[in-house]
Amino acid sequence: MDLFDNLLLGLSTALELNNLGLCLLGVLIGTAIGVLPGIGPIPTVALLLPFTFGLNPAGAMIMLAGIFYGAQYGGSTTAILVNVPGETSSVVTCIDGHEMAKQGKAGTALAIAAIASFFAGTMATVVIALLSVPLSVLALKFTAVEYFSLLVLGLIAAVVLAHGSVAKSLAMVLLGLLLGLVGIDVSSGAARMTFGIAELSDGLDFVPIAMGLFGLGEIIANLERPAERRVVSQKVRDLIPSRADLRAAFPAMVRGTALGSVLGVLPGGGAALPPFSSYALEKKLAKDPSRFGKGAIEGVAGPEAANNAGAQTSFIPLLTLGIPANALMALMIGALMMQGIQPGPQIMTEQPKLVWGVIASMWVGNLMLLVINLPLIGLWVSMLKIPYRLLFPAIVLFCCIGTYGIANSLFNVWLMLGCAGIGYFFIKIGVEPAPLLLGLVLGPQLEENFRRAMLLSDGDFSVFLARPISAVLLAVVAMLLLAMLSPTILRNRKAALAE
Amino acid sequence: MTRSRIDWRDLLFGLFLVAVAAGALVATRNLNVGHAADMGAGYMPRVVSLGLLAFGLFFCARSLWRAGLAQTALSIEPVQLRPLLAVLGAVGIFALTAEKLGLAIASVVTVIVASFATREGRLRETVPFALLLSGAAVLLFIKVLALPVPVWPR
Repeated sequence: MDLFDNLLLGLSTALELNNLGLCLLGVLIGTAIGVLPGIGPIPTVALLLPFTFGLNPAGAMIMLAGIFYGAQYGGSTTAILVNVPGETSSVVTCIDGHEMAKQGKAGTALAIAAIASFFAGTMATVVIALLSVPLSVLALKFTAVEYFSLLVLGLIAAVVLAHGSVAKSLAMVLLGLLLGLVGIDVSSGAARMTFGIAELSDGLDFVPIAMGLFGLGEIIANLERPAERRVVSQKVRDLIPSRADLRAAFPAMVRGTALGSVLGVLPGGGAALPPFSSYALEKKLAKDPSRFGKGAIEGVAGPEAANNAGAQTSFIPLLTLGIPANALMALMIGALMMQGIQPGPQIMTEQPKLVWGVIASMWVGNLMLLVINLPLIGLWVSMLKIPYRLLFPAIVLFCCIGTYGIANSLFNVWLMLGCAGIGYFFIKIGVEPAPLLLGLVLGPQLEENFRRAMLLSDGDFSVFLARPISAVLLAVVAMLLLAMLSPTILRNRKAALAE
Repeated sequence: MTRSRIDWRDLLFGLFLVAVAAGALVATRNLNVGHAADMGAGYMPRVVSLGLLAFGLFFCARSLWRAGLAQTALSIEPVQLRPLLAVLGAVGIFALTAEKLGLAIASVVTVIVASFATREGRLRETVPFALLLSGAAVLLFIKVLALPVPVWPR
């Protein structure tokens, strides 16, 4: 059995002592930033990227992945206890979770959230393992032509399925692609848009851009809002849910996991969309929908399972085909490239230890999260008492040092400064910056594969339609774009993505 | 919202895109474009910039067109200069001082400048906190992670 061999290989990698340590570190950091509102996984991963240089590739990916799914656990804690989502993915958990807390069932809500997350994490790991093999077989048939079409599909689908205006997101992808072109052209050696600045000849580093756009821009915008008062009034008791609670929550967990797994795999997926869909589904299926919003346990179990499953299965496109499903996965690609690994369809066959190690580590990490979340809940709650006025100067400082650390260049710090200003501008005019990051990271690959495909076909554009796999991929792109023009689907999309 | 019905969000984004695209087209005007079968270094920049230009013009046009329709034009909340200047200033100060004055001093100054972003900050609280963070940063980044940046002024 290939699958078992692979999983064993993965487990042996994930259980190496230093990888275990890195996994623990990742999930701890993830939980911490998940608990704290105002700091998301994207700037955190960007911040830690420079310091993964010294690690082996598997260890680096294991830690960075841990931050992402760890944040999903942490986000629910804040949502339940203070009615403020620690992460966007836990917005829905606020509704019924906080209501349960008000009724004195905070412990039960936290426990159900953690158990649902663990259940979903475990199932999602299995889904990843099962799906990876057929996808990687398919990936081996890919040439530059197919890969180009796949990249286009990835970019377009990520834009269509994520929230925000489609036209604006497409424009942001193009902007990212343009920024990705800065630097010395690999095949001709000509300098493009370097403006005579030596630091630009290697291209723009995406870490300062990500930190400026997502980290600092967000901080400036946060500071404009009046400070919220957070009250964690009650003691957390009864961390072991009753049998009746578990029985009520279990079906929702299963449905949430299934929904999250499917939505996570799609480009543009991840942890944000699944919980909303799951909440809507649970409400529709419930015998008495009026209970929702008044502390329904299914309203916690379903979305929490869904966001965790989605967070994990969004790794599938990355680990099998080498394309990122969302901005965070784009950073992961960046991490791989920093390690000297070319992401792409060949990644599974060339780096089995890495891919399966990361997959197996997700299950290990989920187990750790279950343990560190429930007994240590008091520690996380006390973290919420750190006021934002102390938190944000520390983040600013660490962003500066981290950006400097990638290449020991002050140029990157200035670049981050510029991006912070632009990021603030984007927030002000209501444009989502995530597609820019996707374009920036995928730009160089897109160009390289496009050039290679054109070279092979002698400049004939019909080659993208002549090859079956490529034609199917582009047909999906066309369908997605056409669907966006249809008013009914547009309205449904708006309703589905509305918070 | 009351004064004009122009969709400022669209208009500003459109103008921004046009400016970036125009800048890119000018910056890459001398690169060899080539043709599809044998692309030069200038091919992709030109295609992408033209695409951006089209999007930019589209948003500009839409913002004005929608104005006539008097739809729900979204206004932009007023910019507050305090957080903007303090955070950007803090990053700028760090860039100016890190290599000359060393990480220890740069960190303290950066944290203090950043904390001006909110009115809640009190110097009695901020200064000791900045010193603490500076110490932690030196320990973590220089001693543990061996970042090649001086601790003290050279």
